[in-house]
Amino acid sequence: MLLGLTPVAWALVALFGPVVAAFLIAVLPPLRQQGKPAAYLAITAAALSLVAAAALMLRQLGAPGEALVETTRWLPSAGRNIAQIGVRIDGISVPMLVVVTTVATSVQVFSLGYMAGEPPPAFGRYYAFHSLFVFSMNTLVLAPNVLQLFAGWELVGLTSYLLIGFYWQKPSAARAAVKAFWTTKLADIGFVAGVVLLFVSTSSFAWAPPADPRVHMAVGFLLFLAVMGKSAQFPLHVWLPDAMEGPTPVSALLHAATMVAAGVYLIVRANPLFQAIEVREVMTWLGAFTAVFAATVAVVQTDIKKVLAYSTCSQLGYMVSALGAGSLMGGYFHLTTHAAFKALLFLGAGSVIHAVHSNELSDMGGLWSKMKLTGVVFMVGAAALAGVPLLSGFFSKDLILEAMWEEHKYGPFAMLLGAAFLTAFYMGRVVFLAFFGKPSEKAAHAHESGPSMAGPLVLLALLSIAVGYFGKSFAALYGVEYHFHVGLVTYLATGTGLAGILLAWLVYGKKAIPESTFAFLAPVGRLARSGAVDRLYVLGFRHVALGLANLIGWVDRYVIDGVMNFLAWATIMGGRRVRKLQTGNAADYVYAVIAGALVLATWGYLR
Amino acid sequence: MMPIQPVLLLSATLFSVGIYGVLSRRNVVGILLSVELMMNAVNINLVTFSHYHGNHVGQVFAVFSIALTVAEVVVGLALVILLYRAKSDVAIDGAQALKE
Repeated sequence: MLLGLTPVAWALVALFGPVVAAFLIAVLPPLRQQGKPAAYLAITAAALSLVAAAALMLRQLGAPGEALVETTRWLPSAGRNIAQIGVRIDGISVPMLVVVTTVATSVQVFSLGYMAGEPPPAFGRYYAFHSLFVFSMNTLVLAPNVLQLFAGWELVGLTSYLLIGFYWQKPSAARAAVKAFWTTKLADIGFVAGVVLLFVSTSSFAWAPPADPRVHMAVGFLLFLAVMGKSAQFPLHVWLPDAMEGPTPVSALLHAATMVAAGVYLIVRANPLFQAIEVREVMTWLGAFTAVFAATVAVVQTDIKKVLAYSTCSQLGYMVSALGAGSLMGGYFHLTTHAAFKALLFLGAGSVIHAVHSNELSDMGGLWSKMKLTGVVFMVGAAALAGVPLLSGFFSKDLILEAMWEEHKYGPFAMLLGAAFLTAFYMGRVVFLAFFGKPSEKAAHAHESGPSMAGPLVLLALLSIAVGYFGKSFAALYGVEYHFHVGLVTYLATGTGLAGILLAWLVYGKKAIPESTFAFLAPVGRLARSGAVDRLYVLGFRHVALGLANLIGWVDRYVIDGVMNFLAWATIMGGRRVRKLQTGNAADYVYAVIAGALVLATWGYLR
Repeated sequence: MMPIQPVLLLSATLFSVGIYGVLSRRNVVGILLSVELMMNAVNINLVTFSHYHGNHVGQVFAVFSIALTVAEVVVGLALVILLYRAKSDVAIDGAQALKE
């Protein structure tokens, strides 16, 4: 009992607070059209969820190994109960719940300032979607089985679509929303197939692996396909950079901290299903490749949000790779720290964009003197991401690299180390280009954002520093041992990170090394900038998918329809022939009757 | 006991005449008359065999048949009148509405 409520009641508060808010905003037009009241309602609901999550966290820390499951019947069929719906409160769901509600509350408060320029009805709509998102994400996080997790999964997909397409008047935003939806839906086919296969083989939706190893592997691969879509793993990452068309706070909440991490959460949550050795091997390598690939692309982006988007891809690759290598703690811990500092970076970027009215790095510069607070918190976030010692990213990244090393996965280890270098380099680049150097025209009139935007920034900055020190508590929640120790890997990781920052400073800060030194890397840059993967999809679509569709269309039109049309034609023709028998002359009918009678009589006589 | 062959021959002749009449007449009234002839052939058969078997059921049937024939003629003539109203004619080959 916490404050007179049972843990399950707290979980239900976290779940239903936001959905009630979303519902009220949706069905009460005055509330929605006023804008501000809707915002306060949504923030109250999110804060309530945060309080509930914190209460659950306190309880969970007191009894780390305990799992509390409360379910009710769902989809009853013919006396047999197919599935359960409810909440599961344990060491895995509670930390994620805290992450989601914390970031959601911060982002919603931040949006008060950031979205203030929107017309009130749009403002109301924005908060309705946000509340719906918090509910959906909590449904996913608290799910006691794969089926409810899938329901939450699709709901967050929907809210992602709605929020990316928030500026629906802009064709590029509408297109990005559709692209995100389609790409993730394509991947979700894997989820549906995996869940069905799981149910067929085990007759339940629990995350207990099927007995047959081949089925186990198939379920693992199918679910991992869904993870690739949601968590933007190569080659299904293409929707995430485009998703930056949505408002920046949305990018912070959905497309950096929580929703895209749902894929990683799925692997942690339903971990027994991902235990097939082949699946884990693919996860390790694909995650590492995504990490280094996305980091490379991030280096050449000129749009500050695109840099952060590719960085998110890259960090998600880190988590997936760690989980593939078997470091549950590493992947999940990095998810938590990443949620804090990436949300901070996005909100910081939002603050900058709000000030200079542009996403382009070239329109920024010299903002340090005008936006001290934003500058400080952004640098904290960037340093945490780059793995600067004693910040949160340092601990989680070190844990992952350590795990890779211990598992003797030297290939992925090298790739992740390379990604760490690139990460430090591109974050350094963003910081030096945006906050130092000569201010551009647009940056000249920039000024610091208001308190509603500064508050969340400070909170997240503190979290970005502090979360790293809770490793032991997290480890206790997941039921593993964790001791931070400084070793060879630590020195390697720290050295690489600092080297990246140093190089960025030399190139973009001090300008000691001219950018032209890297001219030999220009082809790589061009390739990274050109959206080669996107073009591959277009090619595949135009030539393979459309060709196949045309072929199927031809077969349908001329072969299948042809047979049907021939049958219809033959029937009509036959009918026309037979109709001639009917003359309309009464005498003819009488002839027929008499002839028939004679035939019958003859037949009867002869028999 | 009177032999039944001549009577049956009469009945068959009468029936054949009736069929011929139905097939060859164009006038609907003529067709109705021919049908009456055929009915009478049937009645003769009924009475003949009744007599032959020394059983009265056939004669009773013949009486029923005559009553039915009366009803049938009533309906038939009513149809003729309707046909005349519709077509101003009582020729059978004008009535081909069944065809379509």
